[in-house]
Amino acid sequence: MEHGAAATACPSDPALAPGSLAPDFRLSHPRNASLSLSDLRGQPVVLAFYPPGWDPSRGEQIAQYNKILTQLPNLHAELMDFSVDGDWYDLRFAREQMRLPFLANPSPQPEIAQLYGAEGREALFVIDADGVIQWSYRAPVGVPPKTEDLVEALRLIAPQPKEETAAPKAPRMALTRRDFIAATLAMAFALTLGAHAAQAEPEAARMGATPMAPAMGVSGGDTMPITLTVNDAAHDLQIDPRATVLDALRERIGMTGSKKGCDHGQCGACTVLVDGRRVLSCLSLAVAQQGKKITTIEGLAQGETLHPMQQAFLTNDGYQRGYCTPGQIMSAVGLLTEPVGPEDADVRENMSGNLCRCGAYPNIVAAIQDVRKANTNASV
Amino acid sequence: MHPFSYRQASDEQSALSGVSGQPGAAYLAGGTTLIDLMKLDVQKPSQLIDITPLPWTKITELPGGGVSIGAMVRNSDLAHSEIIMTRYPVLSEALLSGASPQLRKMATTGGNLLQRTRCYYFRDITTPCNKREPGSGCSAMDGYNRIHAILGTSKHCIATHPSDMCVALTALDATIVTRGAKGERRIPINEFYFTPGDHPERENVLEPGELITAVELPAMPFTGRSHYRKVRDRASYAFALSSAAVALDIQGGVIKDARIAMGGVGTKPWRALDAEKALIGKTAGPDAYKAAAEAALHGAKTHKDNAFKVELAKRTVIRALTMAAQKTA
Ligand SMILES: Cc1cc2nc3c(=O)[nH]c(=O)nc-3n(C[C@H](O)[C@H](O)[C@H](O)COP(=O)(O)OP(=O)(O)OC[C@H]3O[C@@H](n4cnc5c(N)ncnc54)[C@H](O)[C@@H]3O)c2cc1C
Ligand code: SF4
Ligand code: FES
Repeated sequence: MEHGAAATACPSDPALAPGSLAPDFRLSHPRNASLSLSDLRGQPVVLAFYPPGWDPSRGEQIAQYNKILTQLPNLHAELMDFSVDGDWYDLRFAREQMRLPFLANPSPQPEIAQLYGAEGREALFVIDADGVIQWSYRAPVGVPPKTEDLVEALRLIAPQPKEETAAPKAPRMALTRRDFIAATLAMAFALTLGAHAAQAEPEAARMGATPMAPAMGVSGGDTMPITLTVNDAAHDLQIDPRATVLDALRERIGMTGSKKGCDHGQCGACTVLVDGRRVLSCLSLAVAQQGKKITTIEGLAQGETLHPMQQAFLTNDGYQRGYCTPGQIMSAVGLLTEPVGPEDADVRENMSGNLCRCGAYPNIVAAIQDVRKANTNASV
Repeated sequence: MHPFSYRQASDEQSALSGVSGQPGAAYLAGGTTLIDLMKLDVQKPSQLIDITPLPWTKITELPGGGVSIGAMVRNSDLAHSEIIMTRYPVLSEALLSGASPQLRKMATTGGNLLQRTRCYYFRDITTPCNKREPGSGCSAMDGYNRIHAILGTSKHCIATHPSDMCVALTALDATIVTRGAKGERRIPINEFYFTPGDHPERENVLEPGELITAVELPAMPFTGRSHYRKVRDRASYAFALSSAAVALDIQGGVIKDARIAMGGVGTKPWRALDAEKALIGKTAGPDAYKAAAEAALHGAKTHKDNAFKVELAKRTVIRALTMAAQKTA
């Protein structure tokens, strides 16, 4: 299929061929002005370039990455969570040391993509612990890398069963922390696998071997019995107090309509109604919602009949990729009961807490205005 | 996130007793600061006392004409309250310029007062930060400091207080009412916050476990002519690079009294007393506003990336005064 062809076609530049040293670059992010690719020597790195618009924060991606990870020998990792903070993403694993960071915004350092001949297209570079490119491929424009590609890439760098792996030169934390992620690899994701950590620890201590409290990141801490009322149905849960409403909905109740974009209150993808008020489920603790009525996107339609706001989003084409849509719709439904002026500008201001990376804003505003006008007409 | 135990306070007493003698305990209100920082491991309370059931959710008129705002009143409810919109428009405008509709529905008056800085290094536990870890150093000093303060800084910390609401409250001479082990305290907002000095980790006068119960606004006849101006990197949903809360008492074209506070530039919500003095007795107009802006930024100390804030803040003050003057008191 096209991927094989793409892989052999890449790279045209002999300097990027397997066996050659990966071109070094320095991160321009202020927090890590002194960090270079070469500082990561001692552990494998995967660079993946994606054009803007490819948004990996879809729920399915978690399963996909987990599939990849289970196929790796000696790697006992379980992907728990996605988060996005501004321009970059952070994939959190059950193991604290295991993070899969990548940056999805092309703007900070487009020159890195240029250096790797990856402008405007998807590309993967697997760089071994010595900084040598081991494998690479460049997809035709518009074709995102498939799971198999990543599996292939990761196989190559999977830890060999030897006693010791060289320690990374840069401090381990510095590599796996958010600031590194934020700083690193413009338009790319850098995958740093904490392979030797997985080997160093006894089998039983591996998080991958222990059933985890969903999306908690760590186990420990007492759980509490709670009843969450979601879309008029009561759910009895035994839950870690750290669980947010978003995690409880998605991981425990199985309602994945509410999305996790940033997990820090910045994007609005997780918007739900609590007692009719729009709030961010990623910053609300599940244990604090007892006795409150939570409404999610799953609860809007009446049987087969869509909520007018859902219908209006459809009619007005108020989305492209759709990841932000449930949050947009919940936010818009909340807006209907608020004191918001009649103008488009009023709607824009009052929907500013819901970000859309595709820029579907004009159609979103149109959809909301349709519903508001219909409501006004209906109530006269 | 570190593990913690969770408990709901049923009343003030159970809240206070829940934290007394518990150094790891923290109050949870809207959670928009606290949960965020707990996810980042910046804050690691071992116990959360949820105070949202406490009944401080009312906005009431005080006998002398002032207004009392319960600590649990949500930012959106406060912003849309009739009495605030008409008597203290600057506060309503400040609130509506902050965060997003969803966050404002969650955020409380008490929590907003105690929100933490958005200094990137404070939020990033891998970098030194005196506020987070006293004595570890300040990464912003020689790092990227575009959003940092130019007023009230010390050699140990240059982080801004990020709140919009608090800037308006500062211009309005609000009083913060608290309850702690020693009973009730009434603290003028201008004495509530510390500048960083040698101890950036100490941000305000609250004792451990002390609860904010209400915020009171004094009666001020001219605050109908007040305005909040916020300048930021995008039109909405961003923290202030610079902001100004102003109120003007103009009679016969002459400024009788004035209140000016600035946001985004100070290590605490910044009252500009000298600027106010510069206005009093002057004819309302560009000359007076410009002189006030100069006075407001007197002594500003800039760092590598934030020198632009001096001019920006001056223009913000001038603009806010101009807009306020156009309102009918
Ligand atoms: C993405 C984002 C954007 C934002 N943008 C803005 C903005 O543009 N402008 C702006 O002004 N703000 C902004 N904010 C901050 C927001 O306004 C604050 O997070 C909010 O006001 C905090 O209130 P809360 O009730 O959620 O506090 P919590 O997070 O519940 O509490 C904050 C702190 O106060 C303590 N506390 C709370 N209530 C009391 C009390 N009654 N007595 C004693 N202690 C108490 C808590 O223990 C905690 O330490 C933004 C926040 C986010 C996440
Ligand atoms: S400015 Fe203050 S908060 Fe920011 S790094 Fe320095 S000490 Fe920490
Ligand atoms: S997931 Fe982004 S605001 Fe909650």
